[in-house]
Amino acid sequence: MKHNSTARTLAVLVLLGVAAFPLYWMLVTSLTPSERLFDDTPNLLPTLSQIGTYAAAFTETSLRQWLVNSLIVAVGTTVLSILLSVLPAYALSRLTFNGKLLLGFALFMTQMLPEAMLVVPLYDIFTKLSLLNTLLGLILANTAFTVPVVTWILKGAIDGVPSEIEEAARVDGCSRLGIVLAVVVPLIAPTLAAAAVIAFFHGWNEYVFAQTFISDDALRTASVGLASFVGELSTPVHTVMAVGFIYTLPAVVFYLFVQRYVVAGMTTGGVKG
Amino acid sequence: MMSRTVSQPRAAARRAPIDHGRWVPALFVAPVALYLLVFQGYPLVQEFLLSVTSTSLLSPGQQTYVGLDNYRELVFDPEFHQVLRVTAVYTVVCVVASIGLGLLAALLLDGTFRGRGIARALVTIPWAAPPVAAALIFVWMFNAQYGLFSHLAQFFGFADGGVNWLDEPSFALPAILITTIWQIFPFSSVVILAALQGVPSELREAAVIDGADRLSIFRAVTWPTIRPSVALLTLLITVWSLRRFDVIWLMTQGGPLGETNTLVIDLYRRAFVYLDLGRAAAVGIIGLVVAILVTLVYFWLTTRAEKAAGKR
Repeated sequence: MKHNSTARTLAVLVLLGVAAFPLYWMLVTSLTPSERLFDDTPNLLPTLSQIGTYAAAFTETSLRQWLVNSLIVAVGTTVLSILLSVLPAYALSRLTFNGKLLLGFALFMTQMLPEAMLVVPLYDIFTKLSLLNTLLGLILANTAFTVPVVTWILKGAIDGVPSEIEEAARVDGCSRLGIVLAVVVPLIAPTLAAAAVIAFFHGWNEYVFAQTFISDDALRTASVGLASFVGELSTPVHTVMAVGFIYTLPAVVFYLFVQRYVVAGMTTGGVKG
Repeated sequence: MMSRTVSQPRAAARRAPIDHGRWVPALFVAPVALYLLVFQGYPLVQEFLLSVTSTSLLSPGQQTYVGLDNYRELVFDPEFHQVLRVTAVYTVVCVVASIGLGLLAALLLDGTFRGRGIARALVTIPWAAPPVAAALIFVWMFNAQYGLFSHLAQFFGFADGGVNWLDEPSFALPAILITTIWQIFPFSSVVILAALQGVPSELREAAVIDGADRLSIFRAVTWPTIRPSVALLTLLITVWSLRRFDVIWLMTQGGPLGETNTLVIDLYRRAFVYLDLGRAAAVGIIGLVVAILVTLVYFWLTTRAEKAAGKR
């Protein structure tokens, strides 16, 4: 038995090593002096005196602006996704109406549409609506891809709310909208949080729309800013890695804090389907 | 609580609902329906219309109707056959490897041991990392001269000098697969781990008492519980793999020699490198049809499995 648990501990450690190593390597690279990046044997430990690279990441690139833009897009995508999804999620769960099946089908279909496929027609639409080269345009495009997922997850949570609770409110004379907002939404708050996190990550990570629809340097998001370093040689590797680490770390830390809600939300709602 | 005292109005409420019937669903659904029509439905129709034209990105206003020519030429184009092959390999390996690894991780992290909470959290790190950042770090690790993988290859004597991982036709797709699988296996692991909580522990204990070995416990007790989750993961990861753009585009842009040119990458290249919007749209539509077929097969298989389970 003892032997068994040692083997397990070892296996778990290997697993965690595989999962965490690339980020660790990003950190180490960002904290390695330029001249030692190209040594014959790689430096496996960070050089802490190199911490200045992180200041340089902000002064030598537009990182601060990129992060602000990414945050605006992510928050905008989250808010809009939730606003648009709560009512249809309720309708799909509780109400009967013509076209219910069609709506469900349409929501599912969008899961199969690659963003890259809609880049050209969306570019056209955004040109007509003067949304090209705006962060609002990115928020609108991203939300089109998050709404189906969010709606589906919320529908799953609403399915789990006993309808007797609603009936009591109905007797009190609440309208449907009142019931949804005052009774249902508070009950599904954990799932709502999970869905919000999923939408936020989508906005924070999104690349292809931001790459194609934004031409103004001041409106670049962090994903596009970081991508511009790939294959480019004039920015030092350790600075690039510092930028990447600053872009990644908040996402990872945030996710570690909220993941228990996300897992619960995904498993009660979306994933069970 | 109050329902007992107000049973009279409650009965009345049931007869005449306070919300006046059919307007409610319409109002609830209209905003999202309109939104999806504008930002998904209409662009999809546009894309389909583009696919039957010959249109250049340089003059998108000038469209010549060519019927099914774009599709016909794709069907007979050996380069497009390669695209289909690369897409199939990429998708199948992504599905099998990330679910396999996810299952292994989930089984390891299930049960009670010290530091379980931290371990379960840490394993999700790759899933939380932005794909662009993942691509960046893996491009650096796969760097021919200074990358970690080249150092390792030399250390273990597989190579004398650096290895041009991302420019070598036989290594590029595996490199991209490694990156992708690293990113998505935590998702499988989290989903399977959640499903494992539904394995009745009495059943497992009973099996242990009966002297069943681990493999047969897995087959008889664990697998039936997690099978629906694994099936759903198969569908999700398939569809995601057919959609994935950022990691592949940033690492290889479909090269070398088209060895990482999946449908989505091919579509983007045709549109923005070759400026051929009509052909690009046709590639997109074909990709969509593939995704829909996969989904239909999934639903067909799962309903059949459910029926079979019901009969038993």
